[in-house]
Amino acid sequence: MPELPTPLRSLRALKTPGIGQRLLFQIILFSSLITLVATAFQLYTDYQRDVGLIKTRMDDIEGSYLGSISASLWNLDIQQLQLQLDGIAQLPDIKSVTVQESPENVTSPLRISRGKTGGNNVITRHYPIVHHLSSGSRQIGTLTVQASLSQVYARLQEKVVVILLSQGVKTFLVSLFILYIVYRMITAHLARISERVSRFEISQPQPPLTLDRSPPEQPDELDHVVNAFNTLSRNLRQAYEHMQEVNQALAQDIIARRQAEEEVKHLNAVLEQRVRQRTAELEAANRELASFCYSVSHDLRAPLRRIEGFRRILNDSYHTKLDDKGRHYLDRIAAGTREMADMIDSFLRLSRATQGELNVEIVDLSASVQRIFAEYRERDPHRKVELVINDGISAPVDRHLFNMLLSNLLDNAWKYSEHCDHAVIRFGFKEEDGERIYYLADNGDGFDMQYADRLFAPFSRLHSHSEFDGVGIGLATVQRIINRHGGRIWAESRPGEGAIFYFTLWERNTDREQGNHLVGRGQPG
Amino acid sequence: MSRETILLVEDNPDEAELALLGFGEIDGDYDIQLVPNGEEALDFLFARGQHADRPRERKPDLVILDIDLPRVNGFEVLKQLRQDPEYRYTPVVILTTSDEQSDILRGYQLGVNSYLCKPVDFESFADLLQQVSRYWLKSNTFPKDGPS
Repeated sequence: MPELPTPLRSLRALKTPGIGQRLLFQIILFSSLITLVATAFQLYTDYQRDVGLIKTRMDDIEGSYLGSISASLWNLDIQQLQLQLDGIAQLPDIKSVTVQESPENVTSPLRISRGKTGGNNVITRHYPIVHHLSSGSRQIGTLTVQASLSQVYARLQEKVVVILLSQGVKTFLVSLFILYIVYRMITAHLARISERVSRFEISQPQPPLTLDRSPPEQPDELDHVVNAFNTLSRNLRQAYEHMQEVNQALAQDIIARRQAEEEVKHLNAVLEQRVRQRTAELEAANRELASFCYSVSHDLRAPLRRIEGFRRILNDSYHTKLDDKGRHYLDRIAAGTREMADMIDSFLRLSRATQGELNVEIVDLSASVQRIFAEYRERDPHRKVELVINDGISAPVDRHLFNMLLSNLLDNAWKYSEHCDHAVIRFGFKEEDGERIYYLADNGDGFDMQYADRLFAPFSRLHSHSEFDGVGIGLATVQRIINRHGGRIWAESRPGEGAIFYFTLWERNTDREQGNHLVGRGQPG
Repeated sequence: MSRETILLVEDNPDEAELALLGFGEIDGDYDIQLVPNGEEALDFLFARGQHADRPRERKPDLVILDIDLPRVNGFEVLKQLRQDPEYRYTPVVILTTSDEQSDILRGYQLGVNSYLCKPVDFESFADLLQQVSRYWLKSNTFPKDGPS
């Protein structure tokens, strides 16, 4: 915007609606009002004065002309009368003058007139013309003078024009001057302040705002505004700088955190990769071990069969040829082969629990437990065991493996509650933190919790052989099965107070089982 | 009536002896032909090779097969046997130590009549042999064009 000289700028300020325009309008309005009132008052007084002047003049006419006119009329000196009337008529503002003889005494009363009578805006006065005789006074006629006000009005009109014109010019000039003053003293500074405020850039250090003027002795309102603005901008600037510092700290924090995150991500990836690799290796090793286990078990079973077969033949066909000791040894061989056969069977079950695809379907666990329990009861009719079970506990599991699992757990419970008068086996589940925890409990011999971690290791037995049968691979098998179902298994017990086996299912998806979770609706049982 | 012939295919001599002992313990008086491998089993079945002079009446009425056999395994023997119309209905029983699902499945796919796992206990083993022989040779009824 090109810089304009100040008055022009103030004129420009007039065009835009703003303080200047409003101020000018107000001043003109008020000033015009004052002018009007003052003018009206002045005109009124002028009018009064002029009218007063006319009246005085008329009074003067009475004093200076009435006597001589009376004499002239008495004498009927027409000429003199006319002269006198001419004299009156020449007085300022006198419009007409008429002498009318009283009609009482004469037949044709005299009437002399100068000027035009009638019309508007006139002041009329009638003077009785009295002639003083010795016998007394007698009215002999009437002098009528009419004074015109038109000149008065004309003068007033002229005055109105002059006053209004001069007042108008004055108002205009004063307004302009005031506008200029306002512009100089206020608007220009306001504009400067406003321009500075709108240009205010918090990120840049700002020079303090100053007004383009010589400072007054006492700080005025503008100085207050400027000071307030400077304080505000200083505070803002400080706050901004503080914020910047905080921001920078934060940014560094974020960068550090992001780096840490990246690192964690990287480490995680490395770890995951490693875990995957290890898992794969482990799985391969497991598979190998399982198949090794399987074939070894198989290969062991064949010669064991032969030993047992030949022992049996020895026993049957050569019984009489052996003495008691020989027969005793044959029995020992029989016991040994039986134990080994059991062991091999357990091994095979364990390896089978580890291998093969899972075939997951909804299985009625309650029904399975009941069925297996019935088998045990049939096998051991003399035992009194109570089964406490809720109907219809179902879960998505591999039916075959879970039969194995429940058999093993029930076998345990059945076995270790043998010394109980009133054995109770309970099967059910409880909800904890939204997780279903299944349990199978007995009130049998239980075990010492310090051996709890050995419980699920293959071939670990907490009880001596003489106490209970079994090779101690059942719980290892159970754990394998639970593992393959993405769950955990643990046990709680105290010697003599029974044992509870807890297990969960599908807490995690095992990599191997992924894609094999399509749950089929199988027949329960 | 001539004795029924049982073809027992078993490579392990101990197993074979036990099986024969097992048969010896059962009441039935069967003509038992023991062969130690699949090749010889086929020779006997089709009267060729070293068994070319097998009399017609010794045609097996029951075949008891092991799977793990040298030269020609049990499945191959089963397959070739079933391809011959003469043996279409001849009962074949697999008697083995393997209870692997794939083996069992394969056996049935190839048309075995029965798949049996050898019990560890000799008494049970002998019992089993007796039951199997009696069932297939005495109890079971075959179509007219089946084995004589």
